[in-house]
Amino acid sequence: MAGESVNVDQWRTRIYRYRLLGGRCRECGRAFYPPLPKCPYCSSEDVEEVRLPRQGKLVSYTILYSVEEGARRESPVIVGLVDLGVARVVSEIVDAEPGTLKSGMAVEAVFRRLYEEGDEGVIVYGVKFRPAPENTS
Amino acid sequence: MDVGVSAAGLVKVDRHYSKSLYDLAGEAVDDALRDSGRNSIDYLVVSTVVSRALTPQLDIASYMASHLGLRRARVLSVEAGEASGLAALQAAFHLALGGNRVLVVGVDKLSDAPSHRVYRVLKHVYYRYSDGFHAIGHAAVAGLLARMYMERYGVSREVLAAWPVQMHMHAKSNPYAMLRFAVKPESVLKAMPVAEPLTLLDSFPLGDGAAALLVEPDGGMAGISAVESAVGPLSVAVADDPLRLEAVGEAWRRAAGDGAVVDVFEVHDSYTIFGLLILEELRLAERGKAAERVAEGDFTTGGSGPLVNPSGGLKARGHPVGATGVYMAAEVAMQLSGTFPGISVPEAKRGAAVSINGHGSSAYVALFTRRG
Ligand SMILES: [Zn+2]
Repeated sequence: MAGESVNVDQWRTRIYRYRLLGGRCRECGRAFYPPLPKCPYCSSEDVEEVRLPRQGKLVSYTILYSVEEGARRESPVIVGLVDLGVARVVSEIVDAEPGTLKSGMAVEAVFRRLYEEGDEGVIVYGVKFRPAPENTS
Repeated sequence: MDVGVSAAGLVKVDRHYSKSLYDLAGEAVDDALRDSGRNSIDYLVVSTVVSRALTPQLDIASYMASHLGLRRARVLSVEAGEASGLAALQAAFHLALGGNRVLVVGVDKLSDAPSHRVYRVLKHVYYRYSDGFHAIGHAAVAGLLARMYMERYGVSREVLAAWPVQMHMHAKSNPYAMLRFAVKPESVLKAMPVAEPLTLLDSFPLGDGAAALLVEPDGGMAGISAVESAVGPLSVAVADDPLRLEAVGEAWRRAAGDGAVVDVFEVHDSYTIFGLLILEELRLAERGKAAERVAEGDFTTGGSGPLVNPSGGLKARGHPVGATGVYMAAEVAMQLSGTFPGISVPEAKRGAAVSINGHGSSAYVALFTRRG
């Protein structure tokens, strides 16, 4: 039962999880993630859905060892705060050796498995970030 | 109307395997109500968070009333994540302003399930439709804020360790604390990493606990001058500055204005970084300087600042989530009535408890005054 409602929840949020959609406020001009019906900065209702940039900079990161059920095969997990210029997102950072990460480095969005949910092991996908190729050149 | 705390009861935070949620709550209430009757209690306000998710029970406040022999009371359950205890106190404070005698009970059990199940529940303190899509656990946001803090202000990992070292030192003399032993800065650095740069010794132990407070008009143990709260950003990603706890600042202004001088604080330090950021948001330390000032001994006995977390904080007293805010409030009330059995400020006139949920999605501030 709980599993079913979780799956509906995942279906409802799939578009913005897949495409990295955010919101932009026509009143104060700021963008944000996730999309919300009211601006989180000025509470205006005049918001539109926008595609957020897929390139950004790593503001900060952590290597998380106490990883929850459903994502433990990837343990440890790198979690970063990514600045997309117009908005910031919290995201997992993939395809990176922890030792090579640096605050300020360029990162780009990739489509990945987020986690497995429930007894049936439904796999939920969405956007994560990885170091951009320019870091290695 | 003048409202105050008239009695407080605490159970030592520990792994109480043999006791149920109701048993623990009963012990705290018995401790609080030693000298007062139960029949005249108008309201029971219950705060429990993790237990409710691990061993589901709805309408828990009414079942709690039956267990506690409080069938004549009206009941209410309050949930605000990690800040639930002070949220329950906020409800109680307003009920007491209306002339009611209110018993607040915070109780939680974190040792009844394997830790990975507890952490899965605790992940829900973060917003599930953005940060919560990812495997952020409970600690990741604290870890990335700690790194950001160290890099922005040029603070070393060794200096950050001053926080847990001081919390453990305080907890040694608190009989209700879970971790009553000293730790050295180098053991903090060498402990198992939890969310780098933070280690196991930067975070709270998983324990069970219960705390009870009787709040009523003219309560004589300590006065309550305000219980305030504020809503913060839904993620560090939408905070203007992730190293500022906006909700703490706003709740503090609502509770205290700009002028309140406080002698003793109990603040929310689920992880080292949050204890430091709260001190800075309360302007007890300049931005980037809180860790240094803790290391210099400013917030312990004989320091130049107020006494901070004489209980040992979430770090060493423990963080039985739904109970934590009620512990903080009880400890501050005990400080002001001269009955706290650990490190204390003699003749303290004002005390405050400050709680947040997660990264600061909400904040609660309770301000207490000495009687007489
Ligand atoms: Zn706006």
